[in-house]
Amino acid sequence: MLSAIRVAAIASNTVREAVRSRVLYVLLFFAVTLMLFGIVLSSLSYVESERILQDVAMAAMRVFGVAIAIFVGVNLIHKEVDRRTVYTILSKPLTRAEFLFGKFAGLVLTIWLQLAIMVACFMGVSALTGAEVGAGHAAAFVLLGGELALIVAVATLFSSFSTPLLSSFFTAGVWLAGHLTRDLRDVGLRSNSEWVGEAGVWLHRMLPDLQSFNLTIEAVHGLPVTAADVWLPLVYGAAYTTLLLLAATLIFDRRDFR
Amino acid sequence: MKPGSANRVVVRGALLALALAITIGAFGALDATPKIDRGEIFVPPAEQLRFASFGFDAVLSDYYWLMALQLVGDASKPVEGGSVAKLIDVVTALDPWVGHPYRFAAVWLTDSLENVHAANRLLARGVAYSPLDWRNRHYLGFNHFFYMGENAKAAGILEGALHLPGAPRYLAPLVAKLRTEREGLETARGFLASLVETSADPRTRAEYLKALDEIDTERRARLLDQARSIYKKRHGRDIERVEDLSTGQRPVLRKLPPAHPHFSSFAWEIDPETGDIVSGFYGARYRPYEHIRDKERRQRWLGDAAHVSRES
Repeated sequence: MLSAIRVAAIASNTVREAVRSRVLYVLLFFAVTLMLFGIVLSSLSYVESERILQDVAMAAMRVFGVAIAIFVGVNLIHKEVDRRTVYTILSKPLTRAEFLFGKFAGLVLTIWLQLAIMVACFMGVSALTGAEVGAGHAAAFVLLGGELALIVAVATLFSSFSTPLLSSFFTAGVWLAGHLTRDLRDVGLRSNSEWVGEAGVWLHRMLPDLQSFNLTIEAVHGLPVTAADVWLPLVYGAAYTTLLLLAATLIFDRRDFR
Repeated sequence: MKPGSANRVVVRGALLALALAITIGAFGALDATPKIDRGEIFVPPAEQLRFASFGFDAVLSDYYWLMALQLVGDASKPVEGGSVAKLIDVVTALDPWVGHPYRFAAVWLTDSLENVHAANRLLARGVAYSPLDWRNRHYLGFNHFFYMGENAKAAGILEGALHLPGAPRYLAPLVAKLRTEREGLETARGFLASLVETSADPRTRAEYLKALDEIDTERRARLLDQARSIYKKRHGRDIERVEDLSTGQRPVLRKLPPAHPHFSSFAWEIDPETGDIVSGFYGARYRPYEHIRDKERRQRWLGDAAHVSRES
């Protein structure tokens, strides 16, 4: 059984370690800069400039949120192994699963903290330009938080057995493919080949359906967002994340650090 | 300073200066003219773009919207409708809930029948995604009436906008006018009368009652047309003044009807341009106004389209 206290201890240490990372601040700086640049960009349009501003700001949050998740996430375990601190930690009364879950929880907390800063910046920029912010935006931010947690889980899975460089490629690939699965399925279903159609459907089932976490257009246009639009992706994301972490634990348990 | 280190500094300085000079020179020689100015607008099909957007549909849509604005904003070149149509197709396919781009297309895609059709396709998408916005229906109906001469279809589309929030009061009278051609004056009258009964806003009601007055005047003008043709048969010549119908030898009418239901000071006149009998109050007959040049252009477009269709 996992001990919540031990997981929390690892998580808090991970947060402390992650907030010292320079990459984090560089990416955050670029995210905020891009949001501010959205003001200039939106002024190029004589109509609906608030919409353009919010589109750009939401895109910045997604891109840099995912970048932080990938760049910080893939180093999670590698750093501990590289510095050999993993021996010290795992020699304590702590299971490998607790270590992994703690690492994951710590990084998710760090990323949500970054997301909160970006949301604050989004609100500030929106207030500055008079762009409306409603409940749809809150739903979009919550789902973005869910998507980022899932990406951290993907990064954790790959970093449990691979090098940081490969892990970052794999995670970025999963993120891109995750946004494509619905289109791939639709393209497959339009194909004359039954095999291609089935392959598209299975890809959609196997890879994370990240488009379900994307409510940008709904938020920006003030379109109605139902409770199911939020809680269903969150439940799906939580379950998928758990599966990924369990797979990572299985691999990590068998890993030889010598 | 060690021997040789001064030389090294000089060599490094020279290399730095050379690299800087080459960078500046090459940068100056680069063709940094925007693609739009070079006439190289490549707009991928909307479906491909959606596939490649990786969830950033909204931002991509904004990018192509800004590109469309640049395209029509360049006063030094004529606007190429085909490119605008492609750009707005992409903009609205990536984010179909946008508002203004649909109307933008309606305004700029009026240089050929083909582009008007493209604008109509886009406006139909706008109506589907924003069914409560009267403006997309308004532009779509206008295109059908003004550029394509499809008055009945235009009336059907505009009728859908009548009760939408913000719809202007003149829409219902316009729908009635457009309906007259195909469905007759009595249908238009019945349509407006039902709106008068159901309208709660006194200003809107007044607008409808004004349109009903115009229909009543048109009814009388049509009676005068009949009287005019009887006059022609009876006298072997046309009237010189409308009053000829009720005066002189063997008048067709005992008395001329009023030229307006409420304002008796207005009289009937013969329009010098069309030769029609018109009320002095309105100055024209009850039909959608169309400038002769607009009519000629429409006939030319429709004629060309029919020719192409026959050839193919």
